[in-house]
This record gives sequence, structure tokens and C-alpha cells, in this order.
Amino acid sequence: MPELYHTAAKRVVVIPAYNESSVLTSVANSLLEKGYSIIIVDDGSNPSLSSHIQSLPVYYLRHRANLGQGAALQTGFDFAKKLNPELVISFDADGQHDVNCIPSLLEPLLRNEADVVLGSRFLSAEKTNIPFTKKILLQIARGVNYLFSGLLLSDAHNGLRAFNRAALDKISITENRMAHASEIIFEIKKHGLRFKEIPVLIVYTDYSKKKGQSSWDSIKILFDLILHKLFK
Amino acid sequence: MNGIQLVLLTGVAFICLFIVIQLKKKLLDLVLLLALVAAAVLFILWPDLTTKLAQKLGVDRGSDLVFYISILIFWFVVLKLYARIRQLEKSFTQIIREDALKKASGPSSNEPDSK
Repeated sequence: MPELYHTAAKRVVVIPAYNESSVLTSVANSLLEKGYSIIIVDDGSNPSLSSHIQSLPVYYLRHRANLGQGAALQTGFDFAKKLNPELVISFDADGQHDVNCIPSLLEPLLRNEADVVLGSRFLSAEKTNIPFTKKILLQIARGVNYLFSGLLLSDAHNGLRAFNRAALDKISITENRMAHASEIIFEIKKHGLRFKEIPVLIVYTDYSKKKGQSSWDSIKILFDLILHKLFK
Repeated sequence: MNGIQLVLLTGVAFICLFIVIQLKKKLLDLVLLLALVAAAVLFILWPDLTTKLAQKLGVDRGSDLVFYISILIFWFVVLKLYARIRQLEKSFTQIIREDALKKASGPSSNEPDSK
């Protein structure tokens, strides 16, 4: 067990990471500047990410095999519970989220108006350059999530989220791969958690597009969701 | 008895033997298996029976009926396998997660010149 460093900082950011480059280092640095504690979960990257984060004051966990983003997130959440945080934030490693969006994300939690806050790229007033096929797929995904969960959200798969302690304790992600984004919505519904969507900016860089999901992946997600419901 | 019957019967006998060894204790599975094997042997030795049964069910040829049933069994097996894989994945995840949590390194131990 590592000693509990930064116990004063009760806001913990979980970053699931798989085969990331130096972008991860700059993402971590931008979060550290704002005073967040960081948990990086290396999802079996090859080579290991430890060289990128060696000099950074972060918690580092490593899966010995690649399991998927959902599994990495849950491992991060399990570890976060040991740090006894007030709030937990999930943040993508590829640099597509903006650190400056976090305060508006945390506000509803701090005012005790929500247990979970989900980032949405479609609520943002500023026009983001969402690629066209991505837009269509996300609309379909919204519909699928609605069919499965009964909750209609404006964005389906956004990695930027914030949870309070109650939500952290209740939500349990069993979908190892990308279907976890829908599973989180099922969990919100199942446990009757209060949730809110907040506009966030997504920056599509060539790097994040390359790391992101293809259209084929969305078929796999749908398949995982059907199996999730079948084999509960 | 012609050649194909011999080939199929040998196949069924081997599968049967294999599963009986695997399932010695599970009575229900064994009964189900024996019923399936009996049906297989019956239809291999008297293929005309499938046609008679098929026509009763509104299918023209016996081989078509066998084909349709095979598809059903195929899907059943695929789903059973998926369920099994998901179960395995669950325990695999648990083991890897426990390992990762145990070996977690904290901010201070990462700093090369920590005081």
C-alpha cells in the first residue's frame, strides 16, 4: 500500500490509459497544476507507461493485461475509494478534454444537486468540430441507450464525468470495454442517482481521432450491450 | 450400411464417449445427451424417417429439417459459449484488478528525489 499522499486534495481524477504517448504527460501536468490528485490506470500498455509518468506525483496502477477502458476505470474507482475522496472525475488520456471544464462539472455536485455529472459535447454553445460520422453514430447511440435504460441524454459516450462519494460507492462497471459508457447510465438508473448533463468542449486532434473509436467499434459496443442484458 | 453412415456413426460415437466421460455425474445432461445420440443414430441408419417427420412439420425434405435444427443448435451453442467467455472474463478481470491495486505506486514513491 502506498502512503496516502495528498489526503488534503479530495478531488481525484481517474485517467484510464492504453498505449498513450507524451500527450498523457501533458494531460497529467495540466490537471496537477489545478491541484487535483491523479490516478493513472495503465491498461496493460506495451511498453508500460511508467516511463512517461515517472517524474510525476501521481498514483500509478497497471493492469498486467489489456482489459479495456471500462475495466481500467473501475480499477481506478476501486483505488480512489481508498483515498477517501469527496469527488471523483473520469478524464480521457488522449487530450480531448479541457481541464477548464472541470469546475462547471463539479458545481452541481458541490451544491448537492446531483450525484453524477456527465459531460456533453452537444450542449456546448460553442461549435465543436465533431466529425460528421461521429455525430450520426452518437445520435444512434443515444437512441440505443434510451431503449436500454429509459434515460435520454444529449451525449452517449463522453469520457468526462464527475461522481460524488455516494455514486462512487454504488456504481460498479462490469463491461470491460467501451460498453461501460452505457452501463454507467444503466447504473445511474438502477440506483436512482441524481444526474445532470453539463456542456463540455471536446478537442478533436489528429492524435485523439486516431486513438478514438471507429464505426466498427460501435457495432461491437451494441453487441456487448445486448450480451450485457442477456447474461446479467 | 453405406460409407457416409459409417463416418457419421463413428463421429457420434466419439462425441458421445467424450461427453460421457466429461459428465459422468450430471444425470440430466446425460439423459439429454443419450436422447440426442439415439436420435442421431436413428436418423443416420434410417434417413427416410427425417423426411417423414419433416413433412409432418411442413418442411419438404428431411435434410432441410436437419439443416434448420442444426442452425438452432448452433446458435444455442454460440450463446452458451459467449456466456462462458463473459464469466471467464469476469474472473480474469478480478485477478488483474486485485494485482494492480496491490502493486499501486503513490505520488511520493514516483518522485526520484523524494525527501
